[in-house]
Amino acid sequence: MAVGSRLTHVIESQQFSRSTLEELFARSEEIKREPHRFMTRLNGQVMAALFYEPSTRTRLSFEAAMMRLGGWTMGTDNAREFSSTAKGETLEDTIRIVSGYADVIVLRHNEEGAARRAAAVSSVPIINAGDGPGQHPTQALLDLYTIKDELNRIDGIRIAMVGDLANGRTVRSLAYLLSKFKDIKIWFVAPPQVAMRDDLKAHLTEHKVPWVETEDLDAVLPEVDVVYQTRIQKERFTDQEAYQALKGVYRIDNRTLGLMRKYAIVMHPLPRVDEIAPEVDADPRAAYFRQAHNGLHIRMALLDRVLG
Amino acid sequence: MSVTDRRLKAVVMDADQIRRSLSRIAHEIAERNRGVDDLVLVGVFSKGDHLARRLAAKLAGLEGAPVAVGALDTSRHRDDRHLREPSHRAISRVPDVDGKVVILVDDVIHHGRTARAAMDALMDFGRPRSIQLAVLVDRGHRELPIRPDYVGKNVPTSDTERVEVLVEEEDGIDQAVIVVS
Repeated sequence: MAVGSRLTHVIESQQFSRSTLEELFARSEEIKREPHRFMTRLNGQVMAALFYEPSTRTRLSFEAAMMRLGGWTMGTDNAREFSSTAKGETLEDTIRIVSGYADVIVLRHNEEGAARRAAAVSSVPIINAGDGPGQHPTQALLDLYTIKDELNRIDGIRIAMVGDLANGRTVRSLAYLLSKFKDIKIWFVAPPQVAMRDDLKAHLTEHKVPWVETEDLDAVLPEVDVVYQTRIQKERFTDQEAYQALKGVYRIDNRTLGLMRKYAIVMHPLPRVDEIAPEVDADPRAAYFRQAHNGLHIRMALLDRVLG
Repeated sequence: MSVTDRRLKAVVMDADQIRRSLSRIAHEIAERNRGVDDLVLVGVFSKGDHLARRLAAKLAGLEGAPVAVGALDTSRHRDDRHLREPSHRAISRVPDVDGKVVILVDDVIHHGRTARAAMDALMDFGRPRSIQLAVLVDRGHRELPIRPDYVGKNVPTSDTERVEVLVEEEDGIDQAVIVVS
């Protein structure tokens, strides 16, 4: 699964080398500027979207990406309820079958490690579109691409990751990617109940990325180039009282915007609930909709690289 | 020359992006030089002049101290002077640069020949302690060993394209565009 000049499976963000990332970003830039040149790149190829967990953006942006490259898509949104899984079929068997129908499989699953299990038995490339609390590498790609697009660099970036860091797979994947760059500094701003997990902090320390853990968002805001806000994930709490206690502790609004640098950006993997006030949308530093839009181009670049 | 004469290919920066890029560059300048003491901003005529003034205002706001600004006409120092029509020349205004850190400011860097001419022109006014280069757009294709210290946006381009920066002071709008001639 090593990533050299040819990408096979896309399982976790650590697998991307810095040079592969830079090539993907350059391609993404090209696609964004002149999409018509890529309209027939993947003519005749078929993408299967197997989603065991709900998702609107990820699934639609993958499908749009495939179709804008001239390919076809098929898939199911509730693989868990309506497919053979309901009859007791294992993920491995499903993948063996579907890999006979498609040229690439985009997989979203509720269990961590599912993408790796799928890759072990698949005869076509697997793209991990989120595996439970594990990783979401294509989200991390579009996040990193957004940072580069908005701030023109990745080296030297100071970023605050805010909110549910224990359950947020997007922040995990992004932190892994950032550890490949120079002079990065990360602030983890979270209530202790959903603090960043130790394995990732150990990874950062090992790669000499300085990180700080704090609960004081206001003190961090004037220091950073990027505020990566996340949603407290209701669906990952068994105790709803614990969820109610944590939701809304960190909120980006006009007051907190006032503490940020004039060029700094607010990112969010979306969907948001109330952790970013709607009044923030009008500020040019609100980058989350541009970020979501970048998902299309980076996924086009990725499919082009995997299948082209 | 206006953009409408040629085919507009893409808008690479809008007014918001230009404003935020300049804010970021101002922060980077202040951080790298640990303040604005002994700093002089010198813009290359004509777009760089406007951008240098805006950067100076942002730096003054950040650091609470005024920053000296100047402007340079590079035409006498260009290596293609013999190939160009003599043009109407602006007159350089350069504050005291002896022993100062000079930040040269231009809109676009391409081959790097304007930056070289600007360094040459600057030396006529004194001996800066060091020179740094800030540009709004780096479009690549360098022909000289010059690399900007501060970049608003890297824009990969082909040789048949041109990057133009429009500024409100001259063009009524802030925008960076790619055009094909």
